[in-house]
Amino acid sequence: MATWTDRAVGMGLVVFSILLFTYYSIWVIVLPFVNSDHAIHHYFLPREYSVILPVVAALVLVLFIGGFITVVLWKNKQKKKVN
Amino acid sequence: MTKLMEWLLGLSLIGILWSIVTFDLLDLRISDQYLQVAWPLPIYLLVTFGCYSLAVVGYRVATFNDCEAAAKELQEQIQDAKRDLQKKGLHF
Repeated sequence: MATWTDRAVGMGLVVFSILLFTYYSIWVIVLPFVNSDHAIHHYFLPREYSVILPVVAALVLVLFIGGFITVVLWKNKQKKKVN
Repeated sequence: MTKLMEWLLGLSLIGILWSIVTFDLLDLRISDQYLQVAWPLPIYLLVTFGCYSLAVVGYRVATFNDCEAAAKELQEQIQDAKRDLQKKGLHF
């Protein structure tokens, strides 16, 4: 069975993704139709960041995965040399 | 048509539609607000897909299950196989 930590982490991921999706949807889809002097604009960064931030996040993710794969492959090679 | 071709076709269709709207290739006179929605749409689709993937992973982690009935069945099959092999002269 899933322990309570599994359940907490899993539900945390679900809630986080729903919140992110809602916030990003409002930012990208709804905000252009709201007057630019409305108070809601204080809660969002300027529009260009709605593209820059995901691209930066994707680059960081790809770099992290690439680094991870490199380290794993490198360690495997070292083990084979010892044997 | 292979799956790859289907995906490439779909992606290029979306890409063509997106560039027609965003770069105004057909002189459609789309209002500025809709243009503001249209140009980040590819990134928006990517973020939506990422959120969906994250939610599915989280949900599967939260509802991860032991398959007790299947485990019992497998144990029974192992016992059956052992008995069968013992009849044929194999010792464990």
